[in-house]
Amino acid sequence: MRLGRLIGKTVLAFAGFMAVFPLLWTALNSLKNNVDIITRVPRVVFTPTLANISYIIGRDSVMTGLYNSVIACGVAVLIGVVLGLPAAYAVARYPNRWAGDIQFFVLSLRFLPPVAVAIPLMVIWLQLGLYDTLTALIVTYSLLTISVIMWLAIPAFQAVPKEVEEAAFVDGYGAYSVFWRIALPVAARSLIGAVAFSFVLVWNEFLIALMLSSSNAKTLPIVASELSQQGMNVPWGILNASVVLLSLPPLLFLGVLSGFLNSVFRQKKT
Amino acid sequence: MPRRSSLPVTFVVPTLVILLILSMVPTLYAIVIALQNRELSSTAYSYVWFSNFVDLFFDRRFLNAVWVSVKWEVVTVVATMAVAIGLGVLMFEVASPRLRNIYCLLFIIPVLLPRVSAAFVWKFAYHPLYGIATYPYRLLTGGLIFDPLSKPATALFAVASVDVWQWGLFFAVIVLKLLETLPPQPIEAARLDHARRWQIHAYVTLPMLKAPLISLMFVKMIESLRSFDLIYVMTRGGPGVATETLDMYAFSQGFIESGKVSYASAMAVLMMIATVITFTMLWKRVQA
Repeated sequence: MRLGRLIGKTVLAFAGFMAVFPLLWTALNSLKNNVDIITRVPRVVFTPTLANISYIIGRDSVMTGLYNSVIACGVAVLIGVVLGLPAAYAVARYPNRWAGDIQFFVLSLRFLPPVAVAIPLMVIWLQLGLYDTLTALIVTYSLLTISVIMWLAIPAFQAVPKEVEEAAFVDGYGAYSVFWRIALPVAARSLIGAVAFSFVLVWNEFLIALMLSSSNAKTLPIVASELSQQGMNVPWGILNASVVLLSLPPLLFLGVLSGFLNSVFRQKKT
Repeated sequence: MPRRSSLPVTFVVPTLVILLILSMVPTLYAIVIALQNRELSSTAYSYVWFSNFVDLFFDRRFLNAVWVSVKWEVVTVVATMAVAIGLGVLMFEVASPRLRNIYCLLFIIPVLLPRVSAAFVWKFAYHPLYGIATYPYRLLTGGLIFDPLSKPATALFAVASVDVWQWGLFFAVIVLKLLETLPPQPIEAARLDHARRWQIHAYVTLPMLKAPLISLMFVKMIESLRSFDLIYVMTRGGPGVATETLDMYAFSQGFIESGKVSYASAMAVLMMIATVITFTMLWKRVQA
């Protein structure tokens, strides 16, 4: 029994190590000169350099990609919040006979293969003269953000105790001010988690951005993948630095999202 | 709740209308394009009706892509669930509450990474000469070369391992949280009956969690359809066509090799029909 526990703990520790080590190694490589990366025996001791990072930050294409990513994802998430949260509240609090169908419809948008959506959209945006613009990307991403935020916010609103809202109605609040002043603040913690999740989802999106942009509207994941297409000519340190830059924003939400997970499962318990 | 309020209508209708437009327009247009013979190189096109679909069934690369996609789906879903349940149960059994919190935080990190980042991280790690993941092999064999991404037999599994790294660890956290929500009485009863630890989980806790675990598997099946970024960065469908899934093949037909947009769209439409029918049926069964 003792031995079993020991093995279990070792396996867990190894899994924990595997979870972060590849990423840490990438971060380490981004501080290395090329000679320290291209070695048959991995080098842990080396003279660090900031050349890769400053090269990445100094490149126009990377900065444009970063700007495009921030704008496209930021605006799409904002649209998702404005349209998704009220709709989720209405479905959660005023259920009618279509509520189940609406929920299924929102979920089923996730079944659509991205290629199937991206090919026609490319043709449509070309015809409208909006191909390779942020507008096209934002509109397309809004489909993602609205549906994901709605899907996650419905249970969050359902978890708000009904009595609180009913008490507010008795106090003379209208339906809209109950939403604004009661439901939104009470559910805020879970809602922030849902919104953060939708941001991570579009930030990480690749296929649609790849097909809807050719030069002006490229997002950061596209720029990063192009760096690698130049093969071994690009020093690995620079590639590693771009991977680190691309990965930082989603990781900023680590705390929010793990709190969100905890709150989801705490609700189930009670 | 007040009976008569304009709130449900004003809140739901605009959002649903926008969602319907944003989803139905491209979906229907994908079908229209699939019935034509559009190409990237020219603006002229005409309707060819079902000939794209007929061609697909005689296209051996398409049939290969279907097979690769099915393999990808099965491998990633099964491996993810196995890793998730294994690590979830382990955390539940041997980790103290504090350690559990630390592991939960660590295990969420990979899934937050952009797929492009994850793909790069592992593409470097799998490099036959300089990779960190192939280093132990070089060390043990005295410098022999092992290149998992360029061997047809291992390439799919090497890419799938990245997907499992991201999702398996994340789902382990969810399995742990699910185990923590269970009432302790049945577990204690089983313990009093001298059941072994693994028996408690195999016969008591996991059967109790059957419904959420099936939902979890359902989510993974949907997410596994989005393999494109990983494969695009790591192997581009290669070596040969060993990792060419349907979305990868559709993309290369439409945009890299021949610019046959309509042909690519026909493929995408078949994918769409297959997934929508499969997942709708599965979802109804899960709900029932």
